Amino acid sequence: MRLGPNGTVLDAAAPARALPARARWRRRLRSRAAIGLLMCLPLVALIGGLVAYPFFYSIYLSMLNKRETAFIGLDNFRFLMTRDVFWQVVQTSFVFTGLAVFWKAVLGFTLALVIHTVPTGGQRIWRGLSLIPWVMPLALSSLGWWWIYEPTHSALNWLLVLIGISPKPWLSDPYWAKVAVILVNVWYGTPFFMITYLAGLKSIPAELFESSAIDGASGLQRLRHITLPMLKSIIAITMLFSTIVTLATFDIVRVLTRGGPRQSTHMFGTYAFELGIASGDVPLGAAVSLFMFPILAVSAFFILRGIRRSTV
Amino acid sequence: METRTRRDFLKTGAAGAAAASVLGFPHVARAQTKLTFGLWDHWVPGANDVLKGIVTDWGKGNRVDITIDFITSIGNKLQLTGAAESRAGAGHDIIAFSTWDGTFYKDKLEPMSDVAEALIKKYGPFNENATYLSKQDGRWVTLPSPIGSHTYPHETRMDYFKQHAGVDVQDIFPADVKKRDKKKVDGWDWKAFLAVAKKVNAAGFPIGASIAENTDSNDWLGPLFASHGSFPMDNKGNITIDSPATLEVIEYLRELTQHMPKDIYGWDDASNNRWLISGKGSTIFNPPSAWAVAKRDQPAVAAQVWHHDVPRGPKGRYRGSLPFTWGIWKFSKEKKVAKDLLLFLSDRETQWKLITASQGYDFPQIMSFQDHPVWKEIGPPVGGQYNYPVRGDEKLIVAGWPAKPEFGAQVYSKWLLPTMVGKVTSGGTKPQDAVKWAAGELEGYKRG
Amino acid sequence: MIRTKRARRALTLLVCYGVIAGFVVFFLFPPYWMAITSFKTNQEIESLEGIPLIIQHGATLRHYRDLFAKTDFLLYFMNSVLVTVPVVFFSMVISVLAAYALSRLGFAGAGVIGTGVFLVYLVPDSLLFIPLFKIIGALGLLNSKWSLVLVYPTLIVPFCTWLLIGYFASIPKELDEAALVDGAGHLQMLVLIFLPVAVPGLIAATIFAFTVSWSGFLYPLAFIFSSGEQVLTTGTVTSLIKGDVYHWGGLMAGALLASLPPVLLYVFLMDYYISGLTAGSTKG
Repeated sequence: MRLGPNGTVLDAAAPARALPARARWRRRLRSRAAIGLLMCLPLVALIGGLVAYPFFYSIYLSMLNKRETAFIGLDNFRFLMTRDVFWQVVQTSFVFTGLAVFWKAVLGFTLALVIHTVPTGGQRIWRGLSLIPWVMPLALSSLGWWWIYEPTHSALNWLLVLIGISPKPWLSDPYWAKVAVILVNVWYGTPFFMITYLAGLKSIPAELFESSAIDGASGLQRLRHITLPMLKSIIAITMLFSTIVTLATFDIVRVLTRGGPRQSTHMFGTYAFELGIASGDVPLGAAVSLFMFPILAVSAFFILRGIRRSTV
Repeated sequence: METRTRRDFLKTGAAGAAAASVLGFPHVARAQTKLTFGLWDHWVPGANDVLKGIVTDWGKGNRVDITIDFITSIGNKLQLTGAAESRAGAGHDIIAFSTWDGTFYKDKLEPMSDVAEALIKKYGPFNENATYLSKQDGRWVTLPSPIGSHTYPHETRMDYFKQHAGVDVQDIFPADVKKRDKKKVDGWDWKAFLAVAKKVNAAGFPIGASIAENTDSNDWLGPLFASHGSFPMDNKGNITIDSPATLEVIEYLRELTQHMPKDIYGWDDASNNRWLISGKGSTIFNPPSAWAVAKRDQPAVAAQVWHHDVPRGPKGRYRGSLPFTWGIWKFSKEKKVAKDLLLFLSDRETQWKLITASQGYDFPQIMSFQDHPVWKEIGPPVGGQYNYPVRGDEKLIVAGWPAKPEFGAQVYSKWLLPTMVGKVTSGGTKPQDAVKWAAGELEGYKRG
Repeated sequence: MIRTKRARRALTLLVCYGVIAGFVVFFLFPPYWMAITSFKTNQEIESLEGIPLIIQHGATLRHYRDLFAKTDFLLYFMNSVLVTVPVVFFSMVISVLAAYALSRLGFAGAGVIGTGVFLVYLVPDSLLFIPLFKIIGALGLLNSKWSLVLVYPTLIVPFCTWLLIGYFASIPKELDEAALVDGAGHLQMLVLIFLPVAVPGLIAATIFAFTVSWSGFLYPLAFIFSSGEQVLTTGTVTSLIKGDVYHWGGLMAGALLASLPPVLLYVFLMDYYISGLTAGSTKG
């Protein structure tokens, strides 16, 4: 027995008539396309079986009646359109996503900028400390936030009172509950923005700043005319990716408010859970979660366009 | 032969369940049976262990190998387990349900009428609320369980009430029903409650009851509406929420909530407990769990806590009840053994052990079991839990009653009442609009 | 001139450090509050007297002891390990194979597969859990931790593949051409040449896989019910909360301990972590 070029076994004792077929097979195997496809097979199977198939199955499910015994077309979607709660969910999802992404981008950028400004030696430690919120499992840190907001023993209200601000009804008032969940999302997501922006800042050639300094440009001018244009594509891509993840938020709302008070903090994911899993109305839950898809698809369109532009 | 044994037992009904089971199966011929039991995860420390011991001993005596899973009700885990098992057609032989959940699966559960009727014959009836939830279409689909079942009386700081509102709850609801003065008891109505709420709030110790997405909210608001004659739906499927009585209660709550903390709209099932234990609150509607924790952590608070009847309304006095039930899946291969076990667990002697283990938290659904001494003896204050079982004219109900279960269950699980009330008292919606909204939701519940 | 410049620089730094300090306090307050609570006695947690931000009446390890002695915390921990190990392994194998093929073997279907991997981002877990609930049920895996081994890779593989493509692409083509001339097969080349060079990328991808698997919450919440099958996230959030009484000390102790493995991993391998995190954006 000896080894062939690909580590395949070349057996001298193989029947002569089988040789041409095997040789052809081997050649085919060695062709790049065949090997490439073979190596991608696990990935394709995984995504096909556990992402693509469930997605289409979800569309089918959303067209069944509550007991899953009859096909009712778009009735579930029509039913949702008549529900106040559903429109509340749509509104909350947009407000939450818009505000959270905006603040994460602003704060992440600010932090990246100040870390980039301080001497290089200290940057590592600040960068490291800032990433902790992003590393902790979100469901568990949300539990910690829950305890921070807890009405009777709220640490946050205690601090507010200390600096002369009246305590806030975190989690019990629709307005403040939205503020509370957005704050946790900003806390969790800002580090990610910071780290990508910081990487972007580091990739800007130092000469650009030096020549502008000679021209007498002020810090703000440099920010406007060099830093922001150079980071445009990174800022755009990060924000759009974050839009997807933020719209799909589940852990924070589920742990902190469970969608309350009065359903005012439900997002698509948590409301779908409430209907589909907790109340046993699988088709209606599937219908709710599917509303995320067109929104995400539009975001994706912009991401793809952004990536193409920045690579050209 | 198995069925005959069962009938024999049910006929005599006397020789404990364990004995019957043993009689039914000669030792030599019987292989070890396996039974799985999905149970509510009890919060009272030690209660799980006592139950496990009782069940394991029974299993040993009857050559049954029993596995118990304690499943928490937090995050709807218990509810989800029931849903998943009914869907999968596999899982525990016996599973616990809370309030309405067993009614969802009436066609997938083994009828329990033989067990329930045997128990009624032996010990007298179950309370009406338990019967309403377990008996569907004329047959018992689940068996009322004492484990975890609880009701929602007042849990009151008697010192605050006496000092700041001049109300002595120990005097109105003494630890002996014979010493009750009917006039004083009748005087404890929602009007009197409002007057007290104002006074204790002025003194800095408001009453606390949640108006949010949790069972505690259902279990005091449901009774409040009922006691004024307001019900979401009748038992024929008509929507009855749009009534003067509903508006009257909403107006009442509009005033009452002025004297309650603003956080109640974000409270969960534990918030009122903390409220009372922290010493800030003067009364809550709750089973004795707040008292039990206070006894451990803040004994001075616990010694001042008195449990007593809820206020009366113009149409009666209703107390919230959250019963648990047991169901046996039709797919179970050990239905007979499962029934034997449940009969044994429903036995007076066993139930008394379980009630003791739960420090009086577990509320028996068989009415004659309410004479358990624990509620007279446990303390301090001794007698503080005497009125936890229903001693007077209270009627136990679950929010959603008297609707058909498929609708009542949604009233309960979709938090219809707290949402409707909160829209007005916290959200500033007009009462009439909130009621219209609720009627629209109820219409949506009819979606098949 | 020089003096004012230096003064301005000093002022800038002062402002920067002030801003950084504000952020660090914001970022670290929740874990700090959790830690403080976990060392307080129950009496102190429930009391409303004094300053809540410090321990005034003596620290206690009771909550940690109770966590191990009286709850299923260790069981959840083991379940998390049992789920995470195969998830990381399978995810890495799938990602490495695919990334090699997609970055090196410019075959016909590569573009389609690449786009497909990207499109996975459009169907997040909060969209898929409902159909997956039915599929897992049909497979008989409901209420089993092994269901997570099946579904978690879908959250990991797309990003890891993407990340590794970046690393593989940076390996000079001359290397593999030389190897191919020597008669090495693609698998041999992948294992002997690519993997050693891409070690930083592999570490970054592994950390990512570990973190996602360890932190997963929605899928175990939807698919697993009994205490014995629970993983750390759901076990802590649901099972450590008892009835209508929350033992905040124990809860916070559990949440902190459960967060520890990813945090520790990150502390020791921070640079890999960050390089993985930023790989996409800097190359984009």
